[in-house]
Amino acid sequence: MNYHRALKSAVAALALAMPLGWSCTATAQDAVNLRMTIWSANEAHLKLFNEIAAGFEKDHPNVTVTYESLPFDTYTTALTTQIAGGNAPDMAWIFETAAYDFVNSGALFPLSDTLKATKGYNLEELSASAAERWSKDGKLYAYPFSTSPFAMFVNNDLIKASGAKPPAELIAADQWSWDNAIATASAVGQTGKGGLIVRDFNYQIWQNLASVWNGWGASPWSADGKACTMAEKPMVDALTFIHDAIFKKKAIPGPGENVDFFAGNAAMTITQISRASLLPKENPFAWDLVPLPKGPAGNYALIGQAGLGVMQTGKNAKTAAEFVAYMTNPENSAKLSQFFPSARKSLLNAEVLKKTNPLLSQEQIDKVVISGIATGKVIPGHTGFAQIQQAVRSGLDAIWRPDADIPGTLLKICGQIGPLLKR
Amino acid sequence: MKAELSPRLKTFLYGLMCVLLIPFVFPTWWMATSSVKPISDIFAFPPQLIPESYDWTTYSKVFELQPFVQQYWNSAYIAAVVTIGTMAVSSMAGYAFARIRFPFANTIFMIVLLGLLIPSEVTIVPLFRMFLKAGMVNTHWPLILVPIFGAPSVFATFVMRQFFVTLPAELEEAARVDGLGRFKIFRMIALPLAKPALASVAIFTFLHSWNLFLEPIVFLSSAEKFTLPQALTQYTDAYGGPMWNIQLAAATLTALPVLIVFIIAQKQFVEGLAHTGLKG
Amino acid sequence: MAVAQDHASPEGRSSSPFWTIARRDSLAGFLFIAPQLVGIIVFVLIPLGLVFWYSLHEWNVLANTFTYTGAQNYQMLIEDSNLLEVLGATAVFSAGLVVFNLSLALLLAILLNQRLAGITIFRTLFFSPVVVSLVAWTIVWGFLLQKNGGINGMLQVLGIEGPNWLREETTAMISVIVVQVFKNVGLNMILFLAALQGVPNELYEAARVDGAPRFKQFRRITLPLISPTILLTSIITIVGSLQVFAQIAVLTQGGPGLSTTVLVYYLYQQAFQFHFFGYGSTLSILLFLIVAVLTFAQWQMRKRIVFYES
Repeated sequence: MNYHRALKSAVAALALAMPLGWSCTATAQDAVNLRMTIWSANEAHLKLFNEIAAGFEKDHPNVTVTYESLPFDTYTTALTTQIAGGNAPDMAWIFETAAYDFVNSGALFPLSDTLKATKGYNLEELSASAAERWSKDGKLYAYPFSTSPFAMFVNNDLIKASGAKPPAELIAADQWSWDNAIATASAVGQTGKGGLIVRDFNYQIWQNLASVWNGWGASPWSADGKACTMAEKPMVDALTFIHDAIFKKKAIPGPGENVDFFAGNAAMTITQISRASLLPKENPFAWDLVPLPKGPAGNYALIGQAGLGVMQTGKNAKTAAEFVAYMTNPENSAKLSQFFPSARKSLLNAEVLKKTNPLLSQEQIDKVVISGIATGKVIPGHTGFAQIQQAVRSGLDAIWRPDADIPGTLLKICGQIGPLLKR
Repeated sequence: MKAELSPRLKTFLYGLMCVLLIPFVFPTWWMATSSVKPISDIFAFPPQLIPESYDWTTYSKVFELQPFVQQYWNSAYIAAVVTIGTMAVSSMAGYAFARIRFPFANTIFMIVLLGLLIPSEVTIVPLFRMFLKAGMVNTHWPLILVPIFGAPSVFATFVMRQFFVTLPAELEEAARVDGLGRFKIFRMIALPLAKPALASVAIFTFLHSWNLFLEPIVFLSSAEKFTLPQALTQYTDAYGGPMWNIQLAAATLTALPVLIVFIIAQKQFVEGLAHTGLKG
Repeated sequence: MAVAQDHASPEGRSSSPFWTIARRDSLAGFLFIAPQLVGIIVFVLIPLGLVFWYSLHEWNVLANTFTYTGAQNYQMLIEDSNLLEVLGATAVFSAGLVVFNLSLALLLAILLNQRLAGITIFRTLFFSPVVVSLVAWTIVWGFLLQKNGGINGMLQVLGIEGPNWLREETTAMISVIVVQVFKNVGLNMILFLAALQGVPNELYEAARVDGAPRFKQFRRITLPLISPTILLTSIITIVGSLQVFAQIAVLTQGGPGLSTTVLVYYLYQQAFQFHFFGYGSTLSILLFLIVAVLTFAQWQMRKRIVFYES
């Protein structure tokens, strides 16, 4: 997986794209073409988006909306490079990690007024915690249209074959802790298959490890983002635990080992529930979806978010904001939630979610999705995240070896990113 | 060194070459065979030299997921146009630098050589802004114009100059006495002699254009305009997860035709290259 | 264009006092080089000037500000605590690449220069990676260099437990060098082969008559005679090595730590990942200066090192 990701982050990152219909705007004075950059190229997603666009165009005959898919891995880089090239889109999806950069820089057009003015919009329905990262000075700068909890997918066939207890049994016995989860993963790991995979982590995207270390109450920096907390005890303990799981217990595939859960080669994987669509249709295995295990600091949940913002530089920012209001109104939010879990309270019930996630059972939805969205913390983010991410990534490389000095390395990382955090 | 070799030495040399060949041949072999393996077998350890089970659907998916035929055509025609254009530009410039005396020739040559020294990453942002202003982003023009006239053609000009320098002056003198102009001398006398050098320029240029990676990714954004190296990176699921076997199938499809052409024409290929005029 | 001029006055040198031979030649020369020169000005010099201009600014893409900051980016360059490590990695990478590439190319060329049956097959195979697309080649090597990948699989058959190639500082550097060399060594190999075949056979015969051993023949005859080729291939290879980017991005992303972060990759990170276009441009200028100085130095050295020039 590394290679693909790397390849694209390397070069595709430069993707300075151009919309198909870019040149047709100049013909009529009133004709407005709105362009939205997105990171999905999924046909079903695009079909729904185009339906929504068609609905908007009916009421606004002078407006056309086009979607431009940029590669997922390097989305932010590609988007920013478009902006640098003088070719900013009108609207853009924004990752939770990059939210601070966009919200704080003034690149986004404030949405609150437009949303409030839209009839039947019900902005109050959006919980404050979901909107937190996307707001500044009481104004919403991007609408968090996707709030997707992290959970653990389980391959029960592999676990049973190894003689370990399936997580469902552990949960029933109230023994679903990280120690037991890793013991199960280790049992499968000893059979030559992979144990637990934190999906997309790959010893690069370290922020995904928050799905583990949040169980220790660890976080990379303080709540205000100014101070590095990586060298503090919770983080040291959590990383020591992860390190043991990798190098002593063989419960997590080590660096440079490629194992794919969805190909049936690993016992468990932590990822967002939307990845259920990757479960194999041919040669299926017995799978389950369970909440993240309990850590020393108790139960916890982690969510990933995606925001939809309007670029300030666009000529048609006002119209674009109206389109965002239309796309995320209660009716369209319900449609979107079949792919992107909504943070609207009225949509957070088992009935709605069951319809939109046919692969999941009622119980899975209750335990994983609803409580996850309600209690989850968002993946860590920061202003200047790309640079901090890179600094931590290269610092953590010293930990991903059998004889690592974990507290020492973490202190060093704090020394590296300290000045970056304060900026 | 051309003396007959003893049988023992021969056996040793063959053995040595066979061992040395492994890193040159194995990756291509692995790429081709893995493209028909089920995805779980790609990661089998130790690796399977010959697939244990075959899944040919990867090849049909290559064409389903992207306009692969169109992308193939894009790469092929761009490389062809760039090759012909570069041959024209570089042979003229190379000839002038080698054989015509004109003011500031050396200074200009040095300025042109600067092009050899500048990595494309350095100038990609200003170039993008220039082509954006010219309305040429998401067209093939940047991929054609920059290689023919810009930095990539400098190496070709250098090769051509090195070749033309070696031509005996008498050839031209005779032609001038006959009243031939510069362009005619170039076209009718110098150019026909330059076939080997032109062949090597053609090979270098074609390969360079065919492999170009950074520029297409920067300048092109719609799938039907993509070139092959760029298309290879696009075989992913909705979350950026790679579809390994399909990607390897596509990679095999991009590599094999060139490899086959090369194997058929390898004599001309290698001899053309050998005449890059780099001998001195 | 030049044609019309030539047709206009076939005997121009006597009949037209203005269009002397020298003048006509000057005009022809300029016309011949015009496409190339204009191309260089438009696609190289002007962009390079713009890069320099950017390097004097702080360019905040998101906030849409472009402020003149004078030498501030250059000050930052001097104070950049990573830069020394990056330049070190660049030097190791380039030096390793050039040495390994040229010695392997020479070795292969000597082998291919022997009178052996089926030598063209070997020549074809050694050259074949050159025509495989760089992206495909690097992706495949990425697989093979995994801890549980093909290379270690083969080593295991021989009873050796291979290292985790891309995750250890030393082996990661070796890996990126070696992958790049196997891809492109065929080009240098062919150039060397051509040079070797250009060495007059009589020289070797004379040496053999004198009873000089093979190694001495090689050092005394072959090396000096192919030294111009060595110089030119080394210039091209060094300049090329400073531009290697995609391979590093695919294989190691500059890691572990900063151990394989070469200058061009660092430049890419600063400009395109962190969006410090101003500082990225400053690094571009630094890279350009390094390449220029190295090339100039090598060109100067040729007088001392190169034994013979045709």
